[in-house]
Amino acid sequence: MTNSINDLLARHTLIFTIVVIIFSLFITFFSEPYGNGLISTSFVKTLGKTVCLCIIALAMDVVWGYCGILSLGHFAFFGLGGYMIGMWLMYERTAIIVQEAATNELLPLTETELSNAIGNQIFGVVGGYEIPSIWMFADSLGLQLILVIAVPGILAFIFGWLAFRSRVTGVYLSILTQALTLALSLYLFQNDSGLRGNNGLSGLQNIPGIEYLGQEVISIGFFWASCIFLISIFLLFHSLMKSKFGLIITSIRDNETRVRFLGYNVEIYKLFIFVLTAIISSIAGALYYPQAGIINPAELAPIASIYLAVWVAIGGRGKLYGAIIGAAFVSLFSSWFTGGQAPDIPLGIFTIEWVNWWTVLLGFGFVLITIFSENGIIGFLRNIFVKEK
Amino acid sequence: MNTLLKVEKISVSFDGFKAINSLSYSIGKNELKAIIGPNGAGKTTFMDIITGQTKPDEGKVLFGERSVWLESDQKYQVVWDENLLMKSESQIALLGIGRKFQRPTVFELKTVFENLFISMKKNRSPFSVLFQKLNRDEKNLIEKILGEISLKNEQDRIAGELSHGQKQWLEIGMLLTQEPKLLLIDEPAAGMTSNERRQTVEILKKLSADKSVIVVEHDMEFVKDLECEVTVLHEGSILSEGSIEHVSSNNEVIEVYLGR
Repeated sequence: MTNSINDLLARHTLIFTIVVIIFSLFITFFSEPYGNGLISTSFVKTLGKTVCLCIIALAMDVVWGYCGILSLGHFAFFGLGGYMIGMWLMYERTAIIVQEAATNELLPLTETELSNAIGNQIFGVVGGYEIPSIWMFADSLGLQLILVIAVPGILAFIFGWLAFRSRVTGVYLSILTQALTLALSLYLFQNDSGLRGNNGLSGLQNIPGIEYLGQEVISIGFFWASCIFLISIFLLFHSLMKSKFGLIITSIRDNETRVRFLGYNVEIYKLFIFVLTAIISSIAGALYYPQAGIINPAELAPIASIYLAVWVAIGGRGKLYGAIIGAAFVSLFSSWFTGGQAPDIPLGIFTIEWVNWWTVLLGFGFVLITIFSENGIIGFLRNIFVKEK
Repeated sequence: MNTLLKVEKISVSFDGFKAINSLSYSIGKNELKAIIGPNGAGKTTFMDIITGQTKPDEGKVLFGERSVWLESDQKYQVVWDENLLMKSESQIALLGIGRKFQRPTVFELKTVFENLFISMKKNRSPFSVLFQKLNRDEKNLIEKILGEISLKNEQDRIAGELSHGQKQWLEIGMLLTQEPKLLLIDEPAAGMTSNERRQTVEILKKLSADKSVIVVEHDMEFVKDLECEVTVLHEGSILSEGSIEHVSSNNEVIEVYLGR
């Protein structure tokens, strides 16, 4: 009995892996550099970004759907990952440009002149040329990659430790996480935050050192990297949630007090999940923003984290597939509707412009799905499937 | 006989209401004792204090008495392993105090087997749990406990589907897999059929062979069947203590029970 269920689950992960790989190959064979160009480079980027959103949706599903912590701050970790990788991308590329320009000069640039020139290029827009100390590792890809993991990891650890230890739960915890996101976003909006204020970081699509490859090749590379990361995270979460650890995580969601009386230190478990998902969100962000090309503080606004919760709820929380379907479905629709491709509906005196009305449609969809299918799209499909049988 | 748990003059009040008033209590190793009392007597608060959910305003809660030979004084001195007031709920649970709640609280979405698996006595740190697999001995232990709580045929069922009585047993089973030294059992017979009650009495008596058990009840008949020492609580302090015959002939007890 239990064995057959395990077999089915094992087959599920295999099916998932195969589907994602076939999908990636399919996209590659229709892309501009490796195929007939039926799929444009910008669409490959959209798909690659969507895959990254699926990864953070998986993280959200584990922290909310499995562990019961409705975090409204995970998109902040996503954004932080983007900033950390963005710092290296922007610094390194500017350094290369500055050095190239300097080859025409008679005298080679001194260290200070070089640093000032880079600083002027990057921070001129916020009125400065000094490179802030938080950029001290920006010339090293390795160190910035470590920061992609360390910065959100440490932030999530400190925040989670304080919040869980004080037994803050439920809606109060959600409000706290939202406050954290808002504070971070407002801080980044400041011009003297050291991260270019509301301008954010830009030109992130140009990867220093491999620019000669061209965007069409780089986009396929990032697309594949995102897909492989998605598969690994799916497998990781799947095996985690299937293990005894997963049993305890879902038990904490269902009855925290009981788990505590069994002798488990509930706070440590929550902290573990919170930090792990924060780090995964951050890595997803580090893959997303080089494809998006630009990051600014508005990306970290609380509304993004709320959307994240909506995706997971629409897809079906407590199921890893649900999170992926929800994120892919809603974010692709969202970019279609808000990209101006959806035909407007003229109603005589009034025209429904989807760019503005998309959120209304999303809101209605969310309400309908929560009314008719508690477990989102996945629950809906399951009902049909079970009835047919 | 060594004392396992000793409660000394604890008091606790909520918003001026004294729920527990200078209460002292103790239980020895492998002893079965019952606490009875009308609603509001402080039974549940008493359990909350032992398990660390409520901190008393004053008093001591000590666990695990040992005698240590003192060379200097040439005599035995009694020492206590743990002061429970300094511990969190999960630490107290790990010391070997298991609690069964008044309403059966099992993990409703998990199978009976999984419920027992989670509560097994093993390292509880997340990093250790990550790699824990069920070995043959543990599987046998769970099978044995499933037999003791008469749920052998239900092990793959979702706990939420069980009858009320079966859930109560499952929860007792979850306490057993923890291999506790002391069991606190809150109203085990509530909502049970007479057949289930008889079985519950058997289960509890069997448990006290190698564990200390405190049963809290307000049903005199059930306590009579347990055939153990009874403590009557009233308004946060002890009214009477002794055999069920002794207690039920006490005038004050009769007044408290029948006067309401």
